Amino acid sequence: MRRYLTPFLFLGPASLLILLFFFTPVVATLLLSFTDLATTTFRHPSWVGLANYRDLFADPFLKKILANTARYVGLTLAFNVGMGLLLALVTSLVPENWGDPFRALWLLPRILPPVVYVFIWQGMLAEAPMGLVSDLLGVSKNWLVETPWVAVILANGFVGASFGMLIFTSAIRAIPRELFYAAAVDGATTLQTIRRVVIPMLAWPILFVTAYQTLSLLTSFEYILLLTDGGPGFYGTEVWSLHAYHLALSNYFGNVEFGLGAAMAAVLVVIGVVVSLFYLKIFNFRALVTEPKIEV
Amino acid sequence: MRKWWILAAAVLALTPVFAQKTITIKAWTIGPDDPSITRLKNLEAAVDRLNALLAIEGADYRVKLEGDFDTTDWDPYLRRVLLAFQSGSAPDIVQASAAPLIGVWATAGYIAPIGDEVSRYGTFKDVFPTLWNAVTFKGQIFGTPQDTEARPLYFNKTLLKKLGWSDAKIAELPKMIEKGEFTWDDLLATAEEALKKGVIERGKGYYHRPKNGPDFLMWYRAFGGTAYDPASGKLVFDKAAALRYFTWLKKAVDAGVLEKDRLDGNWKRFHQNVTDGKVLFFSGGTWNWAEWKSQWVKDRGGESWLWQHFGFALQPAYEKGGRPVTLSNPQAYMVSSASKHKALAAKILAFVAMPDLDARHAVGSGHLPVLQATASLTENRFIRAVSYMLNYTTFQPQHPDLPKWQNALYRGVSAVESGQVTPEQAVSVVATEMKRTLKDQVMIK
Repeated sequence: MRRYLTPFLFLGPASLLILLFFFTPVVATLLLSFTDLATTTFRHPSWVGLANYRDLFADPFLKKILANTARYVGLTLAFNVGMGLLLALVTSLVPENWGDPFRALWLLPRILPPVVYVFIWQGMLAEAPMGLVSDLLGVSKNWLVETPWVAVILANGFVGASFGMLIFTSAIRAIPRELFYAAAVDGATTLQTIRRVVIPMLAWPILFVTAYQTLSLLTSFEYILLLTDGGPGFYGTEVWSLHAYHLALSNYFGNVEFGLGAAMAAVLVVIGVVVSLFYLKIFNFRALVTEPKIEV
Repeated sequence: MRKWWILAAAVLALTPVFAQKTITIKAWTIGPDDPSITRLKNLEAAVDRLNALLAIEGADYRVKLEGDFDTTDWDPYLRRVLLAFQSGSAPDIVQASAAPLIGVWATAGYIAPIGDEVSRYGTFKDVFPTLWNAVTFKGQIFGTPQDTEARPLYFNKTLLKKLGWSDAKIAELPKMIEKGEFTWDDLLATAEEALKKGVIERGKGYYHRPKNGPDFLMWYRAFGGTAYDPASGKLVFDKAAALRYFTWLKKAVDAGVLEKDRLDGNWKRFHQNVTDGKVLFFSGGTWNWAEWKSQWVKDRGGESWLWQHFGFALQPAYEKGGRPVTLSNPQAYMVSSASKHKALAAKILAFVAMPDLDARHAVGSGHLPVLQATASLTENRFIRAVSYMLNYTTFQPQHPDLPKWQNALYRGVSAVESGQVTPEQAVSVVATEMKRTLKDQVMIK
């Protein structure tokens, strides 16, 4: 018995938190998704089994929303990870007193309140004479409705890139100096050093950033909500989580369907789990958690 | 010893003051347009008057109003109200659109029937009788009318003049629309001509609201649609009328009269382009007049600028000789069923139903009064000029599932305008969607 006491003491608090704040909501969401809970039935919800899921998959526009979600997550992720990596490499290659201020600059979008940040974007993309982009290009257009995806991906990407940048920079700094010296002695060019030394050492942070960002992009929608609210037009930039929000928490006329929204959230949980397993597989997670071959 | 006597006397003398209770009544109101702040200010004035009366009566309590006026948007406001209802912390008085929220909230049991209270106070007797229909659900009164409005079709007189219309013809336009002589097709033809002659930019021939709202139901009605069958109490979707409406939208987008991304969710852009004088025809609400006056053209002369540049009419009919329409979405004060002071809350509402307060709100915010006495009190030119529209007005049906109906119709509109489907496809999308979400609560014709 005593044998289990110490691990239990160490794991207990964290497990309790996970149980309370991660596991319980998932179960609650699942339970909710089997009811017809809505504004009008809030005091007397009834069990409807899989009806919400049937409704959901009978929606002829589900495909469009799924395609939007894939597009949003895929492209933003590529920008976030790619740009994060590029920024980390570039700012690590230049002297620190140049690199640090540059990195600080890239943190600005992240520390701005989302509403203010989106107002700036909306202002920049507006028609002339207010819109900066219209002024610069000499073509007065409402760029937000003209190119909504570019706006959505860049607005999210500028915030997201700094996350990868910070993680990758610290990982690059953790690479032992000796490896760079050895590469230099072997006559490796900068690009070769990056490809053969830095990138392989970054596999773990890249997995982490990719997986983390995928999951957070799947569930985050605040910038889209503020920028386009899923528009323009017919589900122009409506993604899965935003659609769930629209169904479950937002309705101009005041009757919201919590049950249906919960079913959408449950589907998102499943997608998240599948994607995570996929990442662990392609990054060969088992190999990553073995003892390091070098001392870091 | 004498000191004790004095102290005891003082305590006795002060007792009534300390015994006087203060009852706090919470009230949540919304514009979201700024000028509608009188929805809250009038409640405050009513409470002041009530307190004055209580003082005269020597009552042992006074009322304190904790009010809130929301200027964000309906969506966050209704969410806030809903979460408050659900958590049992709802305010005593809530103001919102009578239909369909009374249907929704009464079904959910969040608001209390106040018919008995209403019949107790004489001030309510002066309310326009039709407005009571808007606050009645399943035979019970669940709120008191706060204001009403009409949704006109505005037109830019300056642009029409540029197009070659005479002053007389422009002045005649509202009459022509009222008689059914100027239809949606005529509007389209006029806007097309304006585009060809370079009077307007592409897409600015006709503007409608940039996001979901009751107006889409109104335009569907303008194209001959019905939304409700009173006999069965079910919602109705008329495919032929919807097809006429969607086809018109498609024609307008193709002709370059209507922006294909008109539903961009951006009210600011709507008001900016309209008040910059760039848009020929635009559907709005009477309250927009007050917004434009006090926020958008304030520096350019305010209301006189509006009279000079804008005209207003009903929403046209779709065929010659047809009946034009508008839609009123009366606001109502409701009393939360969780309130501990329902009778007192209703009493405050009786004090709000006074002609002077009603007039102050109507004139200040561009809404129409709810009391018959107010109409004769106000000398306001705009309110007098739009009042005739109430003869053509329609309401939203008080059905708790109306939101689903509205959302499905809106889906169709956004699909047609953005060019993703044809009008015929959109009609079948809407019909399928309504059948899917409303089940036996909708009759597809």
